[in-house]
Amino acid sequence: MFAYLVKRLFYVATTVAVMSVLIFWITQVMPGNVAYMILGDFAAPEDIATLEAQLGLNDPAHVQYLRWAGGMLRGDMGMSLSMNQPVSAVLWGAVGRSAILAGISIVLVAALGIWLGVYGGVRRGRLADRIISIGTYINIAIPEFFWAIVVIMLFAGYLNWFPATGYQGIEHGLWAWARHLVLPVFTLVFGLIAHVSRLTRSSVIDVMQSQYIRAARARGLTERRIVREHALRNALLPTVTVLAIDVGVLMGGVVVAETIFSYPGLGRTLIYAIQQMDMPLLQACMMVVTCIYALSNLAADVTYALLNPRIRYGNAADA
Amino acid sequence: MMKTSLLTICLALTLGMTGGHAQAASPKRELVATINSNVNFFYPGRGTTAEEYNFGMLVFNGLVGIAPDLTLRPELAESWTSNEAATEWTFHLRRGVTFHNGKPFTAGDVVHTFKLLADPELASRARSTAEMIDRIDTPDEHTAIFVLKEPYGAWPSMLIERQLKIVPEGVSLEEMAKHPVGTGPFVFESYTPGDRVVVRKNPNYWEAGLPKLDRVTLRIMPEDAAKIAALKAGDVDVLWNVPLESIKALEAEPDIIVDAKATGTWDGIVMNNTQKPFDDVRVRRAVLKALDKAQLVQFALFGHGQPTHTPIPPNSPAFAKSLGFAPDVAGARALLAEAGYPKGFAITLNVPVGRPTRERAAVAIQQMLAPAGIQVKLERVPYSRWGATISGKAPFYMDGYLARPTLDTATYPWYHSSGSWNNRMWHFKSERIDRTLDQARRATSEKEQHELYRTFQRYALEDAPGVVMYSINVATAYRKALKGYETHPYSWMDLRTAYFE
Amino acid sequence: MATPLTPSLRARWRLPPGLAWGAGLLVLIVAMAVVGPHLSPYDLDAISLEERLQPPSIQHWLGTDEFGRDVLSRVLHGARSSLLMGFGATAISLLLGVPLGLAAGYYRGRIDEIIMRVIDVMISIPPVILGLLILSVTTPSIGKTMFAVGLVYVPIMTRLTRSVTLEAAAEEFVQAARARGESAAYILFSEILPNAWPAIIIEAGLRVTFAILLGAALSFLGLGVQPPASDWGLMIAEARPFIDSAPWIACAPGVALCVTVIAINLAGDGLREWLDPRLQGRQS
Repeated sequence: MFAYLVKRLFYVATTVAVMSVLIFWITQVMPGNVAYMILGDFAAPEDIATLEAQLGLNDPAHVQYLRWAGGMLRGDMGMSLSMNQPVSAVLWGAVGRSAILAGISIVLVAALGIWLGVYGGVRRGRLADRIISIGTYINIAIPEFFWAIVVIMLFAGYLNWFPATGYQGIEHGLWAWARHLVLPVFTLVFGLIAHVSRLTRSSVIDVMQSQYIRAARARGLTERRIVREHALRNALLPTVTVLAIDVGVLMGGVVVAETIFSYPGLGRTLIYAIQQMDMPLLQACMMVVTCIYALSNLAADVTYALLNPRIRYGNAADA
Repeated sequence: MMKTSLLTICLALTLGMTGGHAQAASPKRELVATINSNVNFFYPGRGTTAEEYNFGMLVFNGLVGIAPDLTLRPELAESWTSNEAATEWTFHLRRGVTFHNGKPFTAGDVVHTFKLLADPELASRARSTAEMIDRIDTPDEHTAIFVLKEPYGAWPSMLIERQLKIVPEGVSLEEMAKHPVGTGPFVFESYTPGDRVVVRKNPNYWEAGLPKLDRVTLRIMPEDAAKIAALKAGDVDVLWNVPLESIKALEAEPDIIVDAKATGTWDGIVMNNTQKPFDDVRVRRAVLKALDKAQLVQFALFGHGQPTHTPIPPNSPAFAKSLGFAPDVAGARALLAEAGYPKGFAITLNVPVGRPTRERAAVAIQQMLAPAGIQVKLERVPYSRWGATISGKAPFYMDGYLARPTLDTATYPWYHSSGSWNNRMWHFKSERIDRTLDQARRATSEKEQHELYRTFQRYALEDAPGVVMYSINVATAYRKALKGYETHPYSWMDLRTAYFE
Repeated sequence: MATPLTPSLRARWRLPPGLAWGAGLLVLIVAMAVVGPHLSPYDLDAISLEERLQPPSIQHWLGTDEFGRDVLSRVLHGARSSLLMGFGATAISLLLGVPLGLAAGYYRGRIDEIIMRVIDVMISIPPVILGLLILSVTTPSIGKTMFAVGLVYVPIMTRLTRSVTLEAAAEEFVQAARARGESAAYILFSEILPNAWPAIIIEAGLRVTFAILLGAALSFLGLGVQPPASDWGLMIAEARPFIDSAPWIACAPGVALCVTVIAINLAGDGLREWLDPRLQGRQS
């Protein structure tokens, strides 16, 4: 296990390194640069040239990259060129806020999605299952950005139950903080729950039909006990894997949700960095994104291995 | 056991709720306003965005200010005079003013401010203004004499410019970038990038009794829908720069006041005079004729603006009211045929991303030019690419410009062949306009000046470097309980006299 | 044990209901996309000051937008770009991903390592963000967005192709062909691919809806189809300021998007059911 972990972590590190070169290349390839963005629409060409020289944008590409990479390895993320602030100050605040949003969402997605999947799977074919199935089927078809807009229109505009703006610091009161999170979390959960519940349902169905469960039934165990003690453990294996992939989907959803709800998190910072071609900030954001995604994949694989001694790639185990 | 934990939860929630609503009894003394993006530069000399101008308004003062009715008012300068030749301007500085760090305001700070602005390393937008100064004499601590390189009758109105706020000597630019220090009504408190800027009341502000608010929070909210929802829900008190398409909906709200003002800010179509087909003035005039500006105001601005033909503000006495805006598609086609394009031509119109008025105008323009035979293809370009690939290079694009303080600064840079914007825009040259503008600069009487500018406007329509389509209103929306506030035509927020009742 | 397809195909003419409904709906949508705009009495781009922001009525079945354009005509026309995005991007991901997966699965060794490392890097970026990055280096247009979305899904197609290729390459008849000295091209196209394609096609079917939704999301964020074109994602983005006063402008394209995706999903699920019996034991 230890060797496996080390190998995987090494892969994560190389992926992150390759990513950084890729991002740097992108900022070099784009016409225009951050100097244009800082100085605004009508800057004189001489002023742009002066600023470019100051920011070191005229140095050869590999020099700029190595300068940045050297700083990173020393733990210095550099200055955000467009915001005139150290990247770390901007980044960690944003990451923290996104983490709250994503963390709450994924817990809810896991809890609700699994519950819905088990509920439907165990009652396969009956009315409850059909309703849940149709619901999730439609859910998958609704794009997240459209859902967010409808949610704002309904709950913030028409009913005025919740604020449509994303963030209120916790220092302004727990209730206000929570209220502001409701709609963005609702949007994110909505985007993922169908996937998790459908997968759970199908793996529950598979497991419930397996030899192992039939044997348990033959032994006279109650249905409830069968589900709780035997079926769940095996059915949840693919769900765990999917939750890791969902972290990636969630991050995409976070980008959209933070844009629509004006939530000052990592997603919005990333879009801002792309628009401004702010290389240090963009690199830092992408590092975080890559690490989170790679580490969550790793966590899923490890959990899977721990729950199932036979590591297999694939779906429901026929234990 | 369950009951006690339930009780605790209820208590916690209630405390949380009341914490937020503690100030329901007495009138609020803290205001929350929305702005669209980050404030990247606290030091006013490097400000380029409206958000930075807003910040500058709160934390700094200039020598001269401008009231919402566009009259000059004394700020850090109590009065000013000039010599006969308008080359030396003497400003008598206000006494008893201190910066937020306790340092008294003196003439030395004025010299320091302008020295910084003239530094090419700083790349300040106001550098050209600072370069008009030969030197600043300070015979005593409360007098500053600007000795200009050339006569300039409107010098005091130059000093209202957003970058020309006075900063203290002895505070380095690195310090200013982290803890800005000015003489303004509010003192910088904190900044969370992407979230908010907070400033609090300056207890030693030189205007007695002001400001009335204890604290102002600028919340950074790029999303229009979120801003509007926040205002309606009472999460924010002021929505700065209301998107024009939402004005009608907000006006219908009973608790919200929308204050719109006409400004000199204008949108225009830039045609590169050095590239075909726009090197022929007949083609340019044809484009002008084919457009229905009144309709453009409706489509692009939802009626919150007025059609115009010049950057000179519509309420200026120099505005040539007699020149009309009626479209003439047949005339446009005739002009095109004359110029050698009887069947019209195809061209791409570049539009900046993220400027909804221009994006909407572009859609309408595409439809309006079609009957004249001009096939327009729209291409949106993000701002990151704009300066490098479009400005002054593309043949046909949309752009917009802020109001300027004087007739000269509103026209010269665009229309004079040596003008700074001209060479980054339409590369326009007209001898008669050059002559007229130079004369107007030197004009001694207002009457003569206005006459010359009216002549200029007539020439400008005929020589048509591009199309100045309309001037745009600016609007702020705020909760009814807020008093003592009005929208400023320069579109910054002046919150000195604002208070809640 | 791999069996040739054809006899089973002929034996299974009874189509699952999902496939019938889904495919039928899809055909209807495509027909409307192609023919609909021509049937409409309104010019797609014609703006009209007087008719702005009108609710659905007899003259305009889905109302008008902020330029006075007929929403129904635009929604019908928008189907084209969404369907093009979905199928075009998927085609691109197949064109690029399948050969890569075949190469990785068949040749193994160095080639496999390199390809999989590159794939790993691409997979470690969430789709929306990857799309954003790709489109940030260029002026967006529908073609480039389609390409970007296709690129985003190449890793998944490559991985899938690689895993079915690995399985197929282990089979006896492939070993036999190798022993006979057949060229790699022959083995890949005549032995491996015919057995791999059902799984690939099914995955591609899934990808179509993801591609449509990703394309719409990118257009929504401003990096896809450009105005004044009528694309569903773009229409929803443009309708945002009017969501309270004129909700039909956003809802019409939104509902159209959902219905199209549901139709494709139904057809895809039905297709999977139909092909399923031959995939027993091949689930990957």
